[in-house]
Amino acid sequence: MTRFAAPAALLAVLYFAPALSGPYLLHVLVLCYLYAIPAVGLNLMLGYTGLVSLGHIAFAGIGGYTAAVLMVDARLGYWSALAVAVAAAGAAGAAIGLVCLRFRSHFFMIVTLAFGLMLYSVMNNWDDVTRGAAGFPGIPRPPAFTTLESFYRLALTGALAAFAVQWLVVRSDFGRILIALRQDERLAEAKGVNATLYKTAVFALGSALAGLGGALQVSFLRVAAPASFNLAESINAVLIVIVGGAGSLAGPALGALLFVGLPEYLRVAAEWRLVVFGALLVLITLFAPRGIAGVIDDGWRRLARRGR
Amino acid sequence: MSALAVRALEKRYGGLTALAGCSFAIEGPGIYGLIGPNGAGKTTLFDVIAGATPPDRGEVTLQDRRVSGLAPHRLVRLGIARSFQECRVFPEYTCLENLAFSRIALGSRPDLQEARRLLELVGLEAYADEPAASLSFGQRRLLEIVGTFLQRPRVLLLDEPSAGVNPALLEILSAFILKMHAERPGLLLVIEHNMEFIMGLAADIIVMHQGAVLERGTPQAIQASPRVIEAYLG
Amino acid sequence: MAQALLEQVINGLMTGSVYVLVALGMVLIYGVMHVLNFAHGVLFMLGGYVCHFFFTRVTGSYVLSLLLSMVVLALVGLAVERGVFRPLQGNLRNQVIASLGLILAIENLVVALWGPNALQLRVASTETLVALGELRFPAHHLMIIGITAVCVALMFGFLKWSKLGTAIRATSQDRNAAMVVGIPVEKVDMATFCLGTALAALGGALVGPLFLVFPQMGDAPMVKGLAGILLGGMGSVPGAVVGGLIIGVTESVSTLFLPTDYRDSVAFAVMVLILLGRPQGLFGVRVRGEA
Repeated sequence: MTRFAAPAALLAVLYFAPALSGPYLLHVLVLCYLYAIPAVGLNLMLGYTGLVSLGHIAFAGIGGYTAAVLMVDARLGYWSALAVAVAAAGAAGAAIGLVCLRFRSHFFMIVTLAFGLMLYSVMNNWDDVTRGAAGFPGIPRPPAFTTLESFYRLALTGALAAFAVQWLVVRSDFGRILIALRQDERLAEAKGVNATLYKTAVFALGSALAGLGGALQVSFLRVAAPASFNLAESINAVLIVIVGGAGSLAGPALGALLFVGLPEYLRVAAEWRLVVFGALLVLITLFAPRGIAGVIDDGWRRLARRGR
Repeated sequence: MSALAVRALEKRYGGLTALAGCSFAIEGPGIYGLIGPNGAGKTTLFDVIAGATPPDRGEVTLQDRRVSGLAPHRLVRLGIARSFQECRVFPEYTCLENLAFSRIALGSRPDLQEARRLLELVGLEAYADEPAASLSFGQRRLLEIVGTFLQRPRVLLLDEPSAGVNPALLEILSAFILKMHAERPGLLLVIEHNMEFIMGLAADIIVMHQGAVLERGTPQAIQASPRVIEAYLG
Repeated sequence: MAQALLEQVINGLMTGSVYVLVALGMVLIYGVMHVLNFAHGVLFMLGGYVCHFFFTRVTGSYVLSLLLSMVVLALVGLAVERGVFRPLQGNLRNQVIASLGLILAIENLVVALWGPNALQLRVASTETLVALGELRFPAHHLMIIGITAVCVALMFGFLKWSKLGTAIRATSQDRNAAMVVGIPVEKVDMATFCLGTALAALGGALVGPLFLVFPQMGDAPMVKGLAGILLGGMGSVPGAVVGGLIIGVTESVSTLFLPTDYRDSVAFAVMVLILLGRPQGLFGVRVRGEA
């Protein structure tokens, strides 16, 4: 029972944050949550299943723009539009995933990169639908969540939902099969696993989560811009997952917190932040491949051993 | 009706012919040996039977039902299991998790009690909760073989199970295979280079050479056959 | 119409030449080290910046700055190879992820040090015009095509006849066999990476005067170079040359039919089509387990 005391306390603090802190901190936390949601999707794909997708955030874009078009042009109700946006991102993930999964290693990465670039190109140039490079303005917040404080709670709930999905997947048979696929796909197939089916499923799920993050983000910012969903953002997503700890439950949270929260706290200019993160990514890959979550885990184990 | 039959199998890799009209039929359960000099096509034969690669020509039948060209995961559901020449286990999973996976992969609940019993039979019970990567090669081989039996296969293909295993563990392995076979008789086809090991297990040996079946018979007959001797020496 | 087409073909050969320089480096590194260096784009960009630095601060000679930037970047490549790629040898996933980290770090370091705005490289050859029939091109265009052609020729000669070149070919064909016959494969890795980086730097330094020097200038060329090697066939050096040129020309010619906004998409579309239809490219050999 004591295992849940600390996380529960943390959750309580987060939930009541609007009463405890000012708008600036709330704003930063909302961004953290919105970065964490697609990161959970990528963690399932990359961390647990071993699929290195370099175009993940393009699916956040599909979610964001679908929500924008449905909410503004089609005048669909907020929640219906959100649901369709997530489903659209998931469906796109299934379709594109099926194509990408015909390839292995290098080629898989390149195809995901190429699709990400193509989707970005569509977002940037299909002016009639997406309003092009200038962005798609006028996206509403949901009726009951228009203020920062209330949207904060919505974003937190969304993030919690994403982590709940991750937890459920990882401890299920589906999750065990994904983890087996990462370790040795050929062996998993020899044990009866339909690798393509499972990999496509996680690709779709990961893309749906990205879509959720994207849809919430455009709602928060009240605008959808192609620059939010470009290659650089997809690389940032990989960074968040790897630095946080690929294949760990807390990884996406730690990564998002570090990526969004720390620079705001330190008041560092955006470029230097990314220099540090880029260097951090290289260092982590070289010296601490399990990311921050791994470092914490190792530290914990060492403490536990000393306690015996 | 044969439990397992291959007919006129052909397989080329680029300029290399791995299987050149390989045919044999195995009627029913039992332990069968598959031997032959390097390059005879034995592992390729396993790859074809287990669905890892389709044959260029010919067919594989299971109980007279054509199965060649089906994907590996479908063949598993039809009752085929295999081990690998290079020995494959899930390195991060513990021994128990590795064994449990045989059932999870097929959507059933793992029988942990059975898994523990088998681990005990091969002397690995102390490693039940240790990651497979921490085992020695021979121990990993034992784990791999135990895992294949847990798939409850009708046809089990073992690819050089004794390779890289020290003599002490070999005894355990051999005893384990015989015990499993006695508990649930199935069709066991074993590729081997270790003659002593395979002759102690199998009563029927198939000899392959240059992609086709050269000869077949009892261990004594094979060992005495001039054609077999020439294939190995020539 | 024919004039417009010819004009675009020449433009395409020029941009295609730049892609060839990027592609050559990437294909050599891929062949020898079996890793796709996604960070090649930022090395290209650094070549432009270093050239600009030498040109504006040290020597007024463009050619000298060009050569110096190649040398400096070769050293940077050496550091990257030894510090990042060598320790991660054999782990493709981590090598790619590390190269993503390099992209982030280097691109943003440039922004932090030089600012986000584009820099100008005022070079005489961009202002002088050369006549080809009725068309006029900046001499610089033709200079790029010419220099690249010379580089390609030198590269072929180097690979075929020099000792190091032969070692590179051997190592990319079969690393184990190369080790067995005594080739110092680690030195080959280093040399190949330095060579590839120098070519990328040349590309950046050549393109700077035409399209300005700015932090993101290597992103598109990296992807187009990648498209070029896919088209030509992974691991094929002639393929990289042919592929890069085809991408460049196709891109430029497409502006006659498609809105210019979609120019970049041509390369992406080619990539996807190749991967779907003929993953081994024009000259590549289909390798088991690769696609």
